[in-house]
Amino acid sequence: MTFLDIRGVSKSFGNVAAVSDVSLEIARGEFMTFLGPSGSGKSTTLYMIAGFFEPSGGDIRIEGRSILAEPSNRRNIGMVFQRYTLFPHLSVAENVAFPLRVRRRSGADVARKVEEMLALVRLERFADRMPAQLSGGQQQRVALARALSYDPPLLLMDEPLSALDKKLREEIQVEIRRIHRETGVTILYVTHDQEEALSLSDRVALFNHGRIEQVGKGRELYDEPHTRFVAGFVGHSNFLDCTIAARRDARADIVFPDGSGCADIPLHAAASSGSGARLMIRPDRLQIGALTATAARPGIDATLTDATFIGETFHFAVTTGWGAQINVRHPAGAPMAHEPVVGGRVRLSWHAADARLFAD
Amino acid sequence: MLLDFSRLGAWRVALSLIALLVGAYLLLPILLIVALSFGSSQWLQFPPPGWTLRWYEELVDDPEWIASFLTSFQIAAVVTVLSVLIGLMASFGLTRGTFRGREALRALFLTPMILPVVVLAVALYAFFLRLHLNGTFVGFVLAHLVIALPFSIIAISNALERFDRDIETAAIVCGASPLEAKIRVTLPGIRLGLVSAAIFSFLASWDEVVIAIFMASPDLQTLPVRIFGTLRQDLSPVIAAVSTALIALTAALMALAALLRKDARS
Repeated sequence: MTFLDIRGVSKSFGNVAAVSDVSLEIARGEFMTFLGPSGSGKSTTLYMIAGFFEPSGGDIRIEGRSILAEPSNRRNIGMVFQRYTLFPHLSVAENVAFPLRVRRRSGADVARKVEEMLALVRLERFADRMPAQLSGGQQQRVALARALSYDPPLLLMDEPLSALDKKLREEIQVEIRRIHRETGVTILYVTHDQEEALSLSDRVALFNHGRIEQVGKGRELYDEPHTRFVAGFVGHSNFLDCTIAARRDARADIVFPDGSGCADIPLHAAASSGSGARLMIRPDRLQIGALTATAARPGIDATLTDATFIGETFHFAVTTGWGAQINVRHPAGAPMAHEPVVGGRVRLSWHAADARLFAD
Repeated sequence: MLLDFSRLGAWRVALSLIALLVGAYLLLPILLIVALSFGSSQWLQFPPPGWTLRWYEELVDDPEWIASFLTSFQIAAVVTVLSVLIGLMASFGLTRGTFRGREALRALFLTPMILPVVVLAVALYAFFLRLHLNGTFVGFVLAHLVIALPFSIIAISNALERFDRDIETAAIVCGASPLEAKIRVTLPGIRLGLVSAAIFSFLASWDEVVIAIFMASPDLQTLPVRIFGTLRQDLSPVIAAVSTALIALTAALMALAALLRKDARS
C-alpha cells in the first residue's frame, strides 16, 4: 500500500533542471534513502516534499491526497537538517516541546511527550541543558526527538550526520535504525555516502542528474546495477573497454582491445554488434591464478603491478596487455591458489554471472 | 606574530606609556568636567577650592533643566522603539531579499552616517518648514530617526546574517507559521543585535546636538541644546553638572552594550 507517492515531479531553477520527472512510491514504515552525488537532485526532491520548493510539474501525495497546496507548517512532516538547527535560546526539553506548544497541546500532554521523546533518544539527563552545551551528535539526537515529538507519519532527514566524525556517525546510524524500528515512522533519508545508504535503508533510490537511476534494496544496486553510473557509484568497480562482437537477447560476446575475448556476458541496455561497451567486475569477484590455469571460466591474462596488504584484505593492482588498470581484492584469510609475484604474469578470472556489460 | 607584545622587551614600557598618554588625552576633558561639577568655585576654577553638591541641587530644582532632560529622554525613547522596529523590517529585506538594487538600497540606508550632520540638519529644517514640523516633538523624533536608523540596520543585519536561517525553517517545519517562527525563534536568536540596535539608537538621539539646534523651539529643547544655549549666556557650574549626568547615562549604556557583547561571546 503506497503511503507517499511522488508522481512525475520536476523542478527547474531558471533554465536549469534540478529534478526531472522523478516518480517513486514509498510504503508506510519504509526506510528509503535518496543517494547520489551533490547536485543530483536528491535534496531538491526532499525539499519539495517538505514544502520549501514548489515543483515545476508533477504531484506529491500522502495517502492519496496531494500535499502541494499545504504550506510547510501544515504538512505535519518531521525533519532533521544537515546543520544544527536547535533553537539556541531554548533548553533541550523546550526544543522538543516546541512543536507541541505551537500545536497548543496541554501542559501535561507536552511534559509526557517530551519525557517519552528524550527517553527515545536516550538524553533524559540532558533535558535542562542548552543546545550550546551539547556535542554535535547529541544536538542531532535532540533534533530527532523534536522532529518526532508530534508523531509525524513521515520523517525527512537531510544528510543529518554529515557534520559528525566517522565513529559518531556509525553510532548514531545504529540509533536511527533502532528508532525507526521502535516508532515505525516512514523515513526519507538523503545522503551522498553510499555506506550510510546501504547500512540504514530498506530501499535506496540512486539519483543522478536530477533523475532516479535505479531504485531497489542495497544488495540489488550492488549486485545488479542497471546502469554504468549505478555500478560506479555503489561499491568499487573495474570498468574495461571492449567491443561487442555478437549479441543474443540479453547476452553478448565481447572482444578486448588486444583481441582476446569473453563470451556470454549479461548485457543491460540496447547495444548492437560492433558498438563499444564496458565490462564491469567488482574487485572482490576477481580471482588471480597462474597463467596456465584452465580456461573454464572467463578471464584475461595480465601482469601484477602492485600488491598491498591492508589488514582484512589484499589489494592487487593488475595491468592488462593493453594497459588497463584493474583492482582486485582478496580476503587476507582466504586461501590463494597461486601466490602472485609483483611483475609476474597472472590469469584474472571471474564467474560469468559476476560480470556486467554496459553499452557506451 | 611579528609584533608580539610579550617579545617587545624594553619597548613594552614605551608602548604602555604611549597607550596611557592617549587614554589620558581622551579621558581628561571628561574627568575635568566631572571634577568641576563637584567643585565649589562659581567660576569653574581648577583645581576646585572645595567640594559641593550645590550645582546638582540647583540642577534638580530648575524646572527648565528637568523639562529638557525629560524631552531628551522621551525623544530618545520613541526614536529607539521606532528605529528598532523599522531597522528590523529593513534588515529582513536587506539580508533575505533577493531583489535588484538591494546593495544600493543598503548603501542608501547608511548614508546618514557619512553625510555631514549640518547638511542633514539644514535639509531637514527646510523640509520640515513646509510640513510645520520644526519645533515639534514629532519633528524631533523624525529627524533623530534618520541618524539612528543606520545604527539599527547595521546591528540587526549583522545579527540576522549570523543567524542560521535553517533554524527558522526548522521552526516552520515543526508547525509554526512563518510569522510565529520569526517571533518565537528568530527574534530571540538575534536579541543581542536588537539590544545593541536599541542602545545605539538611543545614544544617537540622546547626545545629538546639531540637528536638535535646528529643530528646537523655546518650549521644546533637548538637553544638549539647553547646554549649548546656556553656555552662550553664562558659564555656570550647573552646566558641568548637567554634562556629568549626560556622560553618566551614556557611559552606563555603553557599559551595558559591552557587557552584552562579552556575554554573547562566552
